Amino acid sequence: MESRLFLLAKKSGENAAKFIINLHPKYFQKDIAEPHIPCLMPEYFEPQIEDISEAALKERIKLKKVKASVDMFDQLLQAGTTVSLETSNSLLDLLCYYGDREPSTDNHFQQSEKSEELEEDTGENDKKSKADDQFGVTWRAKNNAERIFALIPEKNSYSYCTMIRGMVKHRALVQALNLYAELLNNRLQADVYTFNALIEATALNMNEKSEDKWNNILELLKQMAAQKVKPNLQTFNNILKCLRRFHAFGRLPGLQTFREMKAIGIEPSLATYHHVIQLFYHHENPSKGSSRIIYDIMNEITGQKFTPKDPDDDMFFQSAMRVCSFLRDLELAYQVHGLLNTGDNWKFIGPDHRRNFYYSKFFSLLCLMEQIDVTLKWYKDLVPSVFFPRSQTLIDLLQALDVANRLEVIPQIWKDSKEYGHTFRSDLKEEILMLMARDQHPPELQVAFADCAADIKSTYESQDARKTAPDWPANSLNCIAVLFLRAGRTQEAWKMLGLFRKHNKIPGNKLLNEFMDSAKASNSPAQAIEVVKLAGAFSLPICEALTQRVMADFAISQEQKEALGNLTSPTSDSDSDSDSDISEGI
Amino acid sequence: MLPRVSAVRPLRPLSCFPLCSGGPEVPAAATVLLGAPHGTARTKNNVQRYFGTNNTICSKKDEQPASMHEISKETESQESVKENTKKDLLDIIKGMKIELSTVNVQTTKPSSTRQLKSVEATINRLQKAPGDAPKKRTKSLSPELVAAASAIADFLPFDKQTTKSELLRQLQQHEEVSKAQKNGGRAKISVSNIISDMKVAKSATIRASTRPVHQIQFDEGSDDYMSQKTSDVKKSLRKNMLKGKRLNIFDLKAVTEETSETETTPSLWDIEFAKQLAAVNEQPLQNGFAEMIQWTKDGKLWEFPINNEAGFDDEGSEFHEHIFLDIHLKDFPKQGPIRHFMELVTCGLSKNPYLSVKQKIEHIEWFRNYFNEKQDILKENGIEFN
Repeated sequence: MESRLFLLAKKSGENAAKFIINLHPKYFQKDIAEPHIPCLMPEYFEPQIEDISEAALKERIKLKKVKASVDMFDQLLQAGTTVSLETSNSLLDLLCYYGDREPSTDNHFQQSEKSEELEEDTGENDKKSKADDQFGVTWRAKNNAERIFALIPEKNSYSYCTMIRGMVKHRALVQALNLYAELLNNRLQADVYTFNALIEATALNMNEKSEDKWNNILELLKQMAAQKVKPNLQTFNNILKCLRRFHAFGRLPGLQTFREMKAIGIEPSLATYHHVIQLFYHHENPSKGSSRIIYDIMNEITGQKFTPKDPDDDMFFQSAMRVCSFLRDLELAYQVHGLLNTGDNWKFIGPDHRRNFYYSKFFSLLCLMEQIDVTLKWYKDLVPSVFFPRSQTLIDLLQALDVANRLEVIPQIWKDSKEYGHTFRSDLKEEILMLMARDQHPPELQVAFADCAADIKSTYESQDARKTAPDWPANSLNCIAVLFLRAGRTQEAWKMLGLFRKHNKIPGNKLLNEFMDSAKASNSPAQAIEVVKLAGAFSLPICEALTQRVMADFAISQEQKEALGNLTSPTSDSDSDSDSDISEGI
Repeated sequence: MLPRVSAVRPLRPLSCFPLCSGGPEVPAAATVLLGAPHGTARTKNNVQRYFGTNNTICSKKDEQPASMHEISKETESQESVKENTKKDLLDIIKGMKIELSTVNVQTTKPSSTRQLKSVEATINRLQKAPGDAPKKRTKSLSPELVAAASAIADFLPFDKQTTKSELLRQLQQHEEVSKAQKNGGRAKISVSNIISDMKVAKSATIRASTRPVHQIQFDEGSDDYMSQKTSDVKKSLRKNMLKGKRLNIFDLKAVTEETSETETTPSLWDIEFAKQLAAVNEQPLQNGFAEMIQWTKDGKLWEFPINNEAGFDDEGSEFHEHIFLDIHLKDFPKQGPIRHFMELVTCGLSKNPYLSVKQKIEHIEWFRNYFNEKQDILKENGIEFN
C-alpha cells in the first residue's frame, strides 16, 4: 500500500514540476546536459509564428489549439489565400476529434476520474459509452467542423471520412449516416476506420430492432467487401461490442463474426474474447444453462502471449475471472491465472480497481473451493503484496477456515486485517469474535483467542473515544466476555458485565450460564448473586433458572436468599412461593 | 412409455453384455450396433442383417466384420467348448438362403423360423445370456415380434426360455438403438441455450456427426449426468466455436492481397489511438530496475556500457579526414613561407578535437581567400602565390 502511495506521490511531484517549468519557460533555458535531454527542457505551448500564413495554421493545429486554428483559418480565407487540402484535412481532424472544443490541457494533472466501468454493472454500461466519449449527443449542430467542411472547395474522401468519424465519436449518428450516403453519391471511397465508425453508428441507433440493426451491419460489411476495403481487428471488435447490446440475439451473430475473423486471418485480441464473454455471460442467470464457451476460449488461448492491439484489451481478465467465479470452477480459474502469468500478459490486468476485482474474485473462489492449506499459501502470496482484500474477502477466508477447522489462524488474520485498514469494520470483527467464541477450544488456543479479543475490545474502545454515541454490537460483547472467561481472565470478564449495563445491551443466556459456572468454580456466591442481579435488571426470563441454580449450588446466607427472593418476586407470586419452598427444603 | 424406456436406455446396452469379458470392447460393440438404421419397422431387416453377418462369421473367420468381431472374440474365448456344435450350425447356415425382404413376420414365419433358428444358435454361441433379462424390455417390441420370438423359441432345441429372452433382447437392442438415435438429437438440443440457438442454423449433419459421440457417452453410462452433459455440450460447442457458419462476406484472398499502401503521415486519429493503446499496458513501475529502464528510454540516464560518443555523430566523418589535412593544401604553393605557415595551420587543426571537418576546411578556405586578397603585399615581398 505504501509503495503505491509513494509512487503516486513521486509521479504527482514530477507533474507539478513539469507544469511550473512549462509555465515559465524563460527561466529554464540553461542546458548543461551532454548529450542533450529533450524531455527535461520546457515545452512550448504557445504558437510562435504570428503572421497569417499557412505555416502559422499548421503550427496551431500541431499545438492542438482549436479556437486559434479556426480563427487563423478564417483569417486566411478572408485574406484570400487558399489553404491546401492537406492542411484543411488536418484542421478537420482536429475539430472532429475534439468535437469543436479545446482538448483538456491539464489532463496530465488530474487523475482521470471519468466513470470507471465496474464490470459488475455491465447492465448499465451497455447504455453508457466508454469513458472517452461523452454521454449524449455532444456534436453541436452547425458547429465549426461542418462550416469548414462546407467551405473546403474540393473535398476528398479523407475529408468525408474524418467528418463521419467525428460525428460518430460525438454521437451525431444520423448525420454520420447521411454523410456516408453523400460520400457514396460522390463516388468516393471510405476507409476502414470510417466503416468501423459506421458500424458503431448503426448499432447505437436507438430506434430500430436488433434484427434490423444486424442486417444493417451486414449491409455495411458487404459494401466494404464490394469496395475492396480490408477489414481490420477494430472492425470485428466493434461488431462484437455492438452485438453485446442485442443480448441473447447477438450470440449467434457473434460466433459467426468470430469465425469470419479467424477465417480471414485476423488474429483476435484479448478484447475480442472479452466481448465474446460479455456476450454470452451477461445475464448471470444460473437457472438457464450457462454457456460453455469460456472453456473453448480458454482452450484456444492458453499459453498465448498477447500484445496490446485494442484499448479494451485490459478488460479481459476481469470478465474471465468473473465468469469463473460465477461458474464456481476452480480449474478454469487456475487456467485464467496461468494465462495471466504467461509472458508479459500480466500487464493486461488493468488499473487498480480492475486488479483488485480480479484478485478478490479469485481469492474468494479459492476460499470456497480449494483446500485450506493451498488457500493459506495463496493468502500469503497475494496479500498484501498484490492486492488489499476487502472485508468481505476476509470474511470468506474466515468461513473457509471455519469449514476446515483451522480456527487457530484467526488471531493472525486479525493482526493482518488491522494492517490493511479494517480495524474499524464491525462486520469483520463480529465474524471473528463469533467464530472464536462459538466452541470450546484447548487452553493455549483459548489464551490466544482471549488476547485477540482484548485487542478487538481496545479497538472498540478507541472507536468509542472518537464517536459521541458508542456503539458496541451485542454479539461482540457476548463473545468477548465468553472468551475472557474461558481463558481464565475472570477479572476482565466481570468488567465486561459492567459494560453490558453501560451500553444497554442484553447478555445472552449462554453467557450468563458460563458466568455462573465460573462463579461456581471460584466458589464465590457474591459473584453468583451479581449475575442474578444483572439478569434481573434486564428482566430476562432466565433469571429464575439462575436463581434456582444459585440456591442449589451455593451456600448463601439468609439475607442473600431474601435478596434473591426479592429479585424474583416481581415476576410472579407463585414463583417466589416455590422459591421459598425450595429454600425451606434446603 | 417411450421416454421412460429411453431414460432407462443408457444402461441397457451395457447390461446386454455383462458377462462379456472385454470391458473396453463393450462400448465399441455398442457403438457399432448403434449404427443400425432407424425405426421399429426395420427391425426385421436387422434380424435379417444378422444373417449376413452370421454368414460371414461362420464361413470366414478371418474376415469377420467389425460389428461381430469383438463379440465373437469375447465369446470364443469363453465358449471354445462349443466348437463342434458350431461346425454343425455352420453347415446349416451355409445351406440357407437369405431373404432380405420386409415381408410381414407372421407370413414368413415358417421360413423365418428356420432362419431365426440359426440366428438363435449364433446368438447362443456368441453370447452368454444373462438369466435375468428384464421382462419389461420386451414390452416395447411389437407383439408380432414377440410372437415370432416365442415361436422360434418353441422350435429350437435349446432351452426355450433363454432363447426367447435372448432373441427378444437382441430385437430390443435394435429398437433401443433406433430410439436412441431418434432421441439423441432431440435430447441434445434441449440441453443448452447455445444449442437451441444454433438449432435453426445448424443442419442435420451436425447432429449426425455428433451422434456417435453422444451415444458413446450414453453407453459408457457416466454416473454424473451433468458432467456427461457438459462434456458432450463442450465437445459440440468446441466444434461450434471454431467451426460452423461464418458470415461469408469477406474473401480470404481479397483480404490478404497486398494493396499498395500510400505512405501518409499518421493523422491525429492514429496518434491518439496509439496513445490509447500504449495506455492499455501501462502499469506502475514494479521495481528500481523498471524505473531505470524508463529513464533510459526518456534519455535521462546514459546507456551502459558508456559510449563516449553517444549522441554525437560528427556527420559521419572519419579520423583520417581530421588528421590528414594536407589534401586541402594543394592550392597553396609547394614551398615558401606560405606553405610553411599553412602546414603549421594544418598541424594545429589536426590536433583540434572541437572542430568538425567542415569547420577545419572552412578555416583553410579562409586562409586561401585571405592570401588571395593580399596578393599585392605578397608580390611586394616577392612571395609567390597563385
